Amino acid sequence: MSAFLQYLITGLGVGCGYALVGSGLVVIYRVTRVVNFAQGAFAVVAAMAVSTLLGAGLPHGLAEAFAVALAGLVGLLVGLVAIGKPGTSPQAALIVTLGIGIFAYAIEILIWGDQPRSFAGLPGSFTLLGARVQSHYLLIIAASVLVFLAMAVLFARTDVGRALTAAAANPYAARVVGINVTRMGLLSFALGGALGGLAGVLTTPVQQVTFDSDVVLVVSGFAAAILGNLTRPAFTLLGGLLLGVAQALVAGYLSTSYQTEVALLLMLTVMIVQAARRPTIQEEPA
Amino acid sequence: MTKTFAGTAFVGVVTLALPLALSLSQLTIYILLGLAAMVTIGLSLLMGYAGQVSLGQASFYAIGGYAAALISVHGGPSLLGLLAAPVLAAAVALVVGVPILRLRGHQLAFATLALQLILLSVLSDASWAGGAIGLQGIPHLSVAGFELDQDLDYAYLTWAGVALTMVVAHNVVASRSGRGLRALATSETAAAASGVPVGRYRLLVFALSAGFAGLAGGIYAFYLGYLAPGSFPVLLSVQYVVMAVVGGLGTIWGGLLGAAAITLLVQLLTDLGTRPGMPSYAPSVLSYAVYATLLVLVVLFLPRGLAPALRGGWRWRRPDRAARTEPPDAPAPSLAGPSAAANEAA
Repeated sequence: MSAFLQYLITGLGVGCGYALVGSGLVVIYRVTRVVNFAQGAFAVVAAMAVSTLLGAGLPHGLAEAFAVALAGLVGLLVGLVAIGKPGTSPQAALIVTLGIGIFAYAIEILIWGDQPRSFAGLPGSFTLLGARVQSHYLLIIAASVLVFLAMAVLFARTDVGRALTAAAANPYAARVVGINVTRMGLLSFALGGALGGLAGVLTTPVQQVTFDSDVVLVVSGFAAAILGNLTRPAFTLLGGLLLGVAQALVAGYLSTSYQTEVALLLMLTVMIVQAARRPTIQEEPA
Repeated sequence: MTKTFAGTAFVGVVTLALPLALSLSQLTIYILLGLAAMVTIGLSLLMGYAGQVSLGQASFYAIGGYAAALISVHGGPSLLGLLAAPVLAAAVALVVGVPILRLRGHQLAFATLALQLILLSVLSDASWAGGAIGLQGIPHLSVAGFELDQDLDYAYLTWAGVALTMVVAHNVVASRSGRGLRALATSETAAAASGVPVGRYRLLVFALSAGFAGLAGGIYAFYLGYLAPGSFPVLLSVQYVVMAVVGGLGTIWGGLLGAAAITLLVQLLTDLGTRPGMPSYAPSVLSYAVYATLLVLVVLFLPRGLAPALRGGWRWRRPDRAARTEPPDAPAPSLAGPSAAANEAA
């Protein structure tokens, strides 16, 4: 029982990380219809930046905040390249972000080298019903819940959020009522970058990061987000938690070597089931 | 037509004579370039005609390599291994293709990436495949008592492989199914309405591209003599996408051109990066930065790739006119697709 509880909390913590990466993908996809392959790179850049800033003597909290802001800035830059040129189709933008992800490798190796990095998170651990869990997992869960609540408020209750949704729902009509669709797209990239950065900052203390961790991160994030068809943040959170818990249980009771397969097979199943329910012939844009 | 034939014959003869003039290290590049070209030609067809992005093409390369290696390591005839490589890769593609090809665009991209990650994870856990250490001591390929143990032999084997790939790809494109595929690339709905068996053709191209990659993987296994899951990273799949996009999607020569351009470029950068005085990370940093930049620039500013741009006499500065003067039967698949035109019209 105590072992189960331990796996459960660990899984929830890791799952929140996936959900945060996934939520970044969702924010960008909702507004621009671009699946941002460089999403994992935001997390890596932020995590590496924190390790440098902490090494330079900045206190915890401030270092993390700077790193998330940096990831937001990187997101904006990625957005400028991916959708800045008028007439770039979402499929072309996917390949562009793939290229940017590779380009990020070069910069990351240049600045931080190719060795794995990590830094200390919330110290200590606690015992809950006989299960010993690192306190940092609770921090991840609490922060993620706050972020998802803030996102719900942003999209439903604020003018900017409504403009973002409008730009996604009907770009032409949005332009007619005076919303700058490209600017909204760039804003979504910056927001997505910050969310990816937050994911990296939160999960790195329990999972060290290398320059090429981004592939696993973006695939896990995509796996979480695909449950909500890449558009619904609430389902993304659910997907991330499901994935994290399933992985933790498999790792705990069976073997750690099946972890990746579980996540990937889950993702493939969800996508294939979704595709089977869609009509085979779809209306194409003229 | 005769001009094209003369050009093809010229390229064929030059590349056939080239290995004799190359040094040993240059022969290695020649072979790896040819193998990359085989994979890229298949991927280029898949992306250009079936309109599908595959981020897992290296997994079929790996399946081919492992099939050939396992058969010959366990004492089977190595020629059987070489034949099994493309057959098994294509068979795996047929099986996974049935569910996977229901997916579109980014979903298929992630699904193929997921398949490769699963394959790598399974291979590094499988004791029968040598685990993470991989398979060593793969014997050389021998055909009817003649053992291919020189680099030059493998250069000619690779040349034959590339030629075979190009002939098969050309015949598929020129056939009835090729016309169906071209229709499918422009509008899936219209193609289906005109009676093109969309699903079956898409599966055919997927299996064909997997078969090409499998054959290249088989040759790779015999040439190097060892295989490990680490030889087939996700980055290799990305590199094939870069080659296909840079060369020009949906063109057979584009696959060859893209593979040649990127392989030579990466080789040049590696030479530059390993000069004395350069830091140890220089080769990887340089090649990542340069081919990523190249990919982004080509997608944004040259969406039809190098090969059509070169053939069009540098008319790519005016893409509209180039598209209009294109003969009507030439395929014009590009990443920009119809939606780009719609965006510009809006």
